[in-house]
Amino acid sequence: MLPSISAGIWRGAQHILRTSRVAPRRTGLCTCAGIPGELCDAGTIFALSSGHGRCGVAVVRVSGPASTTALRCMAGLTHSLLTPRTALLRSITDPQSKEVLDRGLVLWFPGPHSFTGEDSAEFHIHGGPAVITAVLQALGSLPGMRPAEAGEFTRRAFHAGKLGLTEVEGLGDLIHAETEAQRRQALRQMCGDLGRLYQDWTSRLKRCLAHVEAFIDFSEDELIEDGVLNQVDTSVCDLQAEMERHLKDERRGERLRSGVQVVIAGATNAGKSSLLNTLCQRPAAIVSPIAGTTRDVVETALDIGGFPAVLSDTAGLRDSPDLVEREGVRRARERVEQADLTLVVVDCAQLPSDAQQAPAFLQGHLSSILPTQERSQTERCLLVLNKTDLVSEEWRQQLETELRRSSGLPPVCLISCQTNEGLQDFLAALHSSIKALCGDPLSGAPSLTQARHRAHLQQCVAALSQYHRYRDTDLALAAEGVRLALTSLGRITGRVGAEEILDIIFKDFCIGK
Amino acid sequence: MLAKRVPPLQSFLLRFSRTASHLARHKYDVIVVGGGHAGTEAAAAAARVGAETLLVTQKIHTIGALSCNPSLGGVGKGHLVKEVDALDGLCGRAGDWAGIHFSILNRRKGPAVWGPRAQLDRELYRQFIQSELLSTPRLTVLEGSVEELLLTEPDPEEPGHHRVTGIRLANGSQPVSASSVVLTTGTFLSGSLFMGQTTSPGGRIGDAPSSAGLSHTLRERLGLRVGRLRTGTPPRIVKDSVDFSLASLHAPDKQPTPFSFLNTHTRCKPEEQLPCYLTHTTPGVEKVVRESLHLNCHIQQDTKGPRYCPSIESRVLRFPGRRHQVWLEPEGLTSDLLYPQGLSMTMPPDVQLCLIREIPPLHRAEIHTPGYGVQYDFVCPTQLSPALQVKSTQGLFLAGQINGTTGYEEAAAQGLWAGVNAGRWALSMPPVALSRTESYIGVLIDDLVSRGVTEPYRMFTSRAEFRTSLRPDNADLRLTLKGFEEVGCVSSLRYQEAVRVRDSLQDALAALQSLVLPTSSWKKILGDVGISETKNSILNGMDLLQYNNVSFEMLASAFPERFSPHLEFSQRLEIEAIYRPHCDLQRKEMERIQREESLSLPPDMDYLSLPVSLSQEVREILDRVRPSTLGAATRLQGMTPAAVVQLLSYVHQTGKKERRSHRNQLDQKGREEDGCTRNVVLPQ
Repeated sequence: MLPSISAGIWRGAQHILRTSRVAPRRTGLCTCAGIPGELCDAGTIFALSSGHGRCGVAVVRVSGPASTTALRCMAGLTHSLLTPRTALLRSITDPQSKEVLDRGLVLWFPGPHSFTGEDSAEFHIHGGPAVITAVLQALGSLPGMRPAEAGEFTRRAFHAGKLGLTEVEGLGDLIHAETEAQRRQALRQMCGDLGRLYQDWTSRLKRCLAHVEAFIDFSEDELIEDGVLNQVDTSVCDLQAEMERHLKDERRGERLRSGVQVVIAGATNAGKSSLLNTLCQRPAAIVSPIAGTTRDVVETALDIGGFPAVLSDTAGLRDSPDLVEREGVRRARERVEQADLTLVVVDCAQLPSDAQQAPAFLQGHLSSILPTQERSQTERCLLVLNKTDLVSEEWRQQLETELRRSSGLPPVCLISCQTNEGLQDFLAALHSSIKALCGDPLSGAPSLTQARHRAHLQQCVAALSQYHRYRDTDLALAAEGVRLALTSLGRITGRVGAEEILDIIFKDFCIGK
Repeated sequence: MLAKRVPPLQSFLLRFSRTASHLARHKYDVIVVGGGHAGTEAAAAAARVGAETLLVTQKIHTIGALSCNPSLGGVGKGHLVKEVDALDGLCGRAGDWAGIHFSILNRRKGPAVWGPRAQLDRELYRQFIQSELLSTPRLTVLEGSVEELLLTEPDPEEPGHHRVTGIRLANGSQPVSASSVVLTTGTFLSGSLFMGQTTSPGGRIGDAPSSAGLSHTLRERLGLRVGRLRTGTPPRIVKDSVDFSLASLHAPDKQPTPFSFLNTHTRCKPEEQLPCYLTHTTPGVEKVVRESLHLNCHIQQDTKGPRYCPSIESRVLRFPGRRHQVWLEPEGLTSDLLYPQGLSMTMPPDVQLCLIREIPPLHRAEIHTPGYGVQYDFVCPTQLSPALQVKSTQGLFLAGQINGTTGYEEAAAQGLWAGVNAGRWALSMPPVALSRTESYIGVLIDDLVSRGVTEPYRMFTSRAEFRTSLRPDNADLRLTLKGFEEVGCVSSLRYQEAVRVRDSLQDALAALQSLVLPTSSWKKILGDVGISETKNSILNGMDLLQYNNVSFEMLASAFPERFSPHLEFSQRLEIEAIYRPHCDLQRKEMERIQREESLSLPPDMDYLSLPVSLSQEVREILDRVRPSTLGAATRLQGMTPAAVVQLLSYVHQTGKKERRSHRNQLDQKGREEDGCTRNVVLPQ
């Protein structure tokens, strides 16, 4: 779960400390550590609650005390115009620039008679990505508003007693799915320069905190000189300036391609590049009978039945002594981890000659390719058995019978990229998988994650000014500022626990008492 | 308070020296094993909550002994002392009695991290603790060594696999039974002493090793996981042999500040305080360490030692080429010895002498007692509940170094809490827990039981999330009221004082808040105190107190009729004004944690087959650690938000069911009891 931003960030000072003692997990991993903290956090949240891709209408939901503010500032619904549960056609404008963003339906659901039990609002707008992004950004610029965390609407409903028992049971699964989607989204964003930048800030901030904490806990007995704090002063100033510059930079880092991330993976020479070329109907990747031809990730944007997808061909997964190929394999595994949908390509001729053993073989093959947490999620994978032209018709029928009998495998398609046999069925399966994924508002929309990162950074910068304010009068309150800043940044790069800070202290100083 | 506390030494030694054969009774509510900082607090606390208590120790004479450094408190540790005192424990008052050099550390860094600290007179400290135990009603002290724990079938109504029923002493006398037992064996659990290349069994030099029976019971019969840790102590130096002109003098605070909320002054008069001296290691020290490494068993072993109180050997090995601080501390008003803080070492005695003589003021120093190292077993504390009870054994409580901590204050804090809960268990009262949102004791215990230890655990203020709320100045308001009203470990005298303080502070804060004036008027009244003309041109008294150069005294002299009745609390009011806005911001987060901590997870929950959707990984974590509350579960490494929600919804459902069935049981029980007389012996 991406931890939340407390409502007060926009007012500057209202931060709530949430120091976790859960050690951060993998680098660049946005979240996932247990943060029940947000189970019932206050503040007004918003999110896109319809899918993207080919959809005529997008629904943006708002829940919390500032819902009426959103209706007033963006749809011109002053108090006298507010009518509960009635759809009104309004111009939706940016609260700052007053520019008209779209024309659409707005609804007001005063609490407690709403899904979450709180005051809520809905904006039904046109489904284009530009309109959606503009409306979400406009909402985010209002005081007290923040992007919702995974499952937060449902959690609020749960806490307001709005959910039945069966719905509550589904809540955990829902949150799991949403956090997973956000995790993949975050992984994509964090693996580039932006990720390195955030990591660098985090490690510098950790060091600042460790040095302030060391000065508080040990300086009376130890050789920790006041100079330590002067270094922290400089570092904090630098960090603040860098973050502010970054926030002002309109480029907002790399623009990520929007769409469902489809990754083709498998052993060498299974025909992954051929599949890519077949799908995009042009020779986008080099195809040769030599194993290990594809070494880097080849990426193509595709429109599959009207849904945006980014198709990536990856290096064949094998142990190789070749340094370049090894890097290719590492990148391939990274891509599979970030994928919304993985197409696992298998060479039919490599299957066991006894068709009865095929399901077990495929099961084992899948677990060597898919990341651990996704082995059970068969809906996020398609198994493509390629090169059907190389096997006998009789064996093929045996295989199909066996596959039908077995359970636990993802959908299987038998194709031949050489003869285009089975391609139609495969495209239909791919289309329905992608359609299902597009129905989930969380896959493939980088702007949402970016908005969240931005909010956390703003909070971080604000917290750092608390350090300066109290630096000379009360070091406990100054340290509190750095703690808050690190907590905010930790929501992007992974949480930082007290133990980690102590590790730095003991590495940098000789504490003898 | 202090004046009454002159211990009648002769008479209490007599009463203490009862032996097993003279035991007045063979049945107690609580037995505490060990007479160190944890044991004495545990015994006193158990007796305070109303339990008939027996303290068993190897040597009555060493009850309350300071085995290592002659000091109490410090940054983080001082917070613990204040909290133990707020719960009516002993160590704060003992420190005020025995202190010979008081100082508040971190004086310039903000009151939330002030560290009250004192050098102690070892003899006075011991005497105070012993006389305090003597005058504690319901408490008996027995000299002896515990051979084994008596165990029986568990009470089926409660979770656990065993139930403790008492102890058997080593001398073969009759067993002594009790409803609960608190083990505070310190470094004595399979302890071995190291000096140079010689190793001998024991937990402290000069004391007999404790019997192997107890260690065997914990490991083999109760199946507890144990680990091994090490610690050490420096040589004691003959004071007359030290050249103080080569060290720099560190004077105590001019006005000593007592630890205890009950004391307005310390026994030691300001001018009678003794100084400390500071000196540094030289390259020669490093040379001696390196050349004697082959003679040093303790250092060669890879048992985990602390990173923050390392021996001089590990300091120079980890940070070579540096000067390291050495504090020369007095051991007492009349003692001929000095304690060289920072020179813990385990090399052979002759090498120790060579080493200390490399330090300028010690160039012709004599060693009275050489330093040595100790290795000892500790019980992995994740096997304990937040009441410090062993989860698998009803009535068995552990506190102090046996739980993997280091330090007097950490031991005292756990001892007090284990004693409280052992007493409550024996009296059939439900366990009580302290939250990490309300106290450092809560932080300490939560860290221990939900995360475990990998090295000796010491308190730092950086461990407390709510540092600006958990201050030394307000420990009484945080804990004394609760200690009386909910826990039952606080005397009514102390309670009344805390109520008076609370009410006066509330009145004073209300008076401050109600005095609202425009900025211009404040300037006229107080002169130039740095009030800036902002758009917020109306300020109340609390706002004013947040300014560095505005004191409560200034306000009191400007508005005498309004504020002078509260002058007693000037400092506390100023501190409160600075932190109030920040604490208000933290309150919501604290409430959330408390809410989660109030949702308890049944200790016997079968996580591996719980009918909710949890991953195998999460199930295994939960099964291994068995967190006692949802709050503790959420802090586990590897927990996912989804898993927390699943647990939450499960606990909600089963909680409702259980409450219903519990109510039915109670109704039934009530009907049964009406017919018969209850055969319960109430404690006096």
